[in-house]
Amino acid sequence: MNTHSKTRALAIIKTWGTLMGFLLLLIVFSTLRPDVFPSGRNMRNIIEQVATLAIVASGVTVVMITGDFDLSVGAIASLVGVVAALLMKSGMSTLMSILLALALGTSAGLLNGLIIAYGGLSAFVGTLATMTAYGGVALLISKGTTIFALPENFKVLGQGSLSLLPVSVLIMAFTVFVVYLLLEQTTYGRRLYAIGGNEEASFLSGIRTRQVRLIAFGVSGFFASLGGIVLTSRLFSAHPQAGSPFMLNAAAAVFLGMTSFREGEANIMGTLLGVFIIGVMGNGLNILGINTYVQSILTGAIIIFAVLLSSIAKKRQK
Amino acid sequence: MNTGEVLRIEGLKKQYPGVQALKDVDISFSGGEVHGLVGENGAGKSTLIKILAGIVKADEGVFRFDGKESTISSSKDATRHGLSFIHQELNLVNYFNAMENIFLGHTYPRHYGPLVDWKKLREQTRTICDSLSIDLPLEKPVSHLSAVQRAMVAIARAFAVNGRIYFMDEPATALTDVEKEKLFNVIQSLKEQGKTVVYVTHNLDDILRITDRITVMRDGQVVKHSRTSTMTKDSLISAMIGKNLASAFPPKTGTIGKPLMSVENLSNSLLRDISFTLHSGEILGIGGLVGSGRTELLETLFGVRSVTTGTILLDGTPYRPGSPGEAISSGVVLVPEERRKGGLVLSRSINENITLMSLPEVSRFGFLRHTHLRRKALEAGRSVRLKASDYEHHVDTLSGGNQQKVVFAKTVMRIPKVLMLDEPSKGVDVGARFEIYSIIRDLASHGAAIIVVSSDFNEVLGLADRILFIREGGMTSIHDNEGIDQEQYLHYCYGRTHA
Repeated sequence: MNTHSKTRALAIIKTWGTLMGFLLLLIVFSTLRPDVFPSGRNMRNIIEQVATLAIVASGVTVVMITGDFDLSVGAIASLVGVVAALLMKSGMSTLMSILLALALGTSAGLLNGLIIAYGGLSAFVGTLATMTAYGGVALLISKGTTIFALPENFKVLGQGSLSLLPVSVLIMAFTVFVVYLLLEQTTYGRRLYAIGGNEEASFLSGIRTRQVRLIAFGVSGFFASLGGIVLTSRLFSAHPQAGSPFMLNAAAAVFLGMTSFREGEANIMGTLLGVFIIGVMGNGLNILGINTYVQSILTGAIIIFAVLLSSIAKKRQK
Repeated sequence: MNTGEVLRIEGLKKQYPGVQALKDVDISFSGGEVHGLVGENGAGKSTLIKILAGIVKADEGVFRFDGKESTISSSKDATRHGLSFIHQELNLVNYFNAMENIFLGHTYPRHYGPLVDWKKLREQTRTICDSLSIDLPLEKPVSHLSAVQRAMVAIARAFAVNGRIYFMDEPATALTDVEKEKLFNVIQSLKEQGKTVVYVTHNLDDILRITDRITVMRDGQVVKHSRTSTMTKDSLISAMIGKNLASAFPPKTGTIGKPLMSVENLSNSLLRDISFTLHSGEILGIGGLVGSGRTELLETLFGVRSVTTGTILLDGTPYRPGSPGEAISSGVVLVPEERRKGGLVLSRSINENITLMSLPEVSRFGFLRHTHLRRKALEAGRSVRLKASDYEHHVDTLSGGNQQKVVFAKTVMRIPKVLMLDEPSKGVDVGARFEIYSIIRDLASHGAAIIVVSSDFNEVLGLADRILFIREGGMTSIHDNEGIDQEQYLHYCYGRTHA
């Protein structure tokens, strides 16, 4: 292959490699279990399974554009679920309970932003600390137990459907659309990407960089809360650690997404692809009867492989 | 002792997008010599050094170490060949002391198996320092040392790993006269040990004083190369400039108008008692050496640094910006010194960079108006003669000159009242420089007040209507730019109020 076509091939791998990997996964699982995996019912199953993760990961995308990080989304999701459940059980209306819990989770995100953007802690350390603290609050107020017997009308968010479409999937679509608008169509999105590219130049261009980062954490907190509410409704019970898997899976989805569509930048379509890769992996390996511990190992390996592949392609191209 | 040729470079070429940074450069260095390397900004000195350091890869060229052909493709190769680089941002570990830093990358002396023999380490460090007549506190973390002491730690470290050629890029800029003498003594010791020192600076007095040979570069070529004893300041300057000064700058057009900004007794931690009045249509040059407070003055007026005492009036109303955002909305805009660091988001498109300062103007209720945005960006780009095939391309695909035009376009979009330029032509090749100067003149003739800071004194002399000289944060004098020559300029920079 001559150098020119080699460069082109690398460029294609860099932009589309992750997507091709995803399609490959679909093909492999469909070939191995043609009776079960590609069925309409299973596809619907996968989409419903990933909806909550997609909601949470959309928020994390916003934070990660500026080069920050949010480890606390899992704890926020759990906390919000517990708070909503307790409020409903205390007799408050379902809608009011949800709104209050969302407000609390958003505030928790803003507190992250305050600590990190204004307090100067690194995002990693800051959200590691708040993750621990928020998780502690969730355990404390729930006394470490699962909260059952929620009002029947709360079921609709996680389990209801609007004609054929599951409500949770509609919420996911709405979230992705809102985050897309925010990132690609607003001045705020431009500021976020500018800070991610060069914080000093952004500051010298008059951007209030700390405020922009603070808001990003607020957005992440809000969508973590929304994910937590949908999850609680889906499980129809609140557990103080129900959201824990979000922490790593959301970050993994955003990292996978950074390898596709846009060079090295977190972006919403990439995140969505990342979410589906993680979802399809989990579902497919389950169907093949592979043990969950092995699934974790494989998920980790795939993330390393995807990120390595795209960074190698990037280096070669230079 | 090796006094023969240690390194010969032949036919070195390097092309950047849009700029031929090095065109067929031949140069050689001998043992036991201090070799001066001079040239204006953009002449190719830093590209040459980056190639030798293994940071940038040459397109063509042959390197002969002791006559043997070799390559440099990484910083490891550079170290292996005994090349060491002493520059302002020294790679020292701040909380390590001098000894630990000097032996970094070398092996520490050991005893009892793996344990470090601190006594022996101290002795060995002393030996190194003595042979270079360096006097250093060995036990303090290097973050507590002065600039010159830190430079000496870096030199001693290179010496410890048997460095043969020491590249020093403006090592003396932040140093006092006494400290500079110490540095020169160390350079002398290195030379006596048969080492080669390549000394890069804008300070011609220093170059003439301490070097044995001088190479002058201009536009990516070696234009002069001879023994220092045969050169004078004038011959160096004319070799560096190449053509006469007046033709390199567009003629002045507009007239100077009413006072726009008046600064009175401005002081903060880095500046004291600066006063001047800036008029619309005027170009005010700030003269002074690197580290004199030039950049800090601009940063203070731009709200990056706070004002402790003093007043600033902008259009007759008090002005005290708390952030660049506030400065920009008052109409005061800065083109920062390091365009890649402070001026541009390289990973984003030209459109996005040009509109970054003006997002409210290209949006409605926070939503971008894409068509309007593209039209505005194109207008701004055209007004600064930006050459780009597609404004959706990333700015890092542009040449240095065009990148700088993107920064200008960004500020032009704001229609600034006061435009401050820090090193406006740094890393811009000579052809594009004239265009940059024309843009500056254009803006002034449309009524903007402009402040220019530059290490290239010809630039200040060629552009400014008046020049304010500052030294160690205080202003020394302010002059109309009439009949000031380069020598006088330097005298003013050193704080003499008359030549």
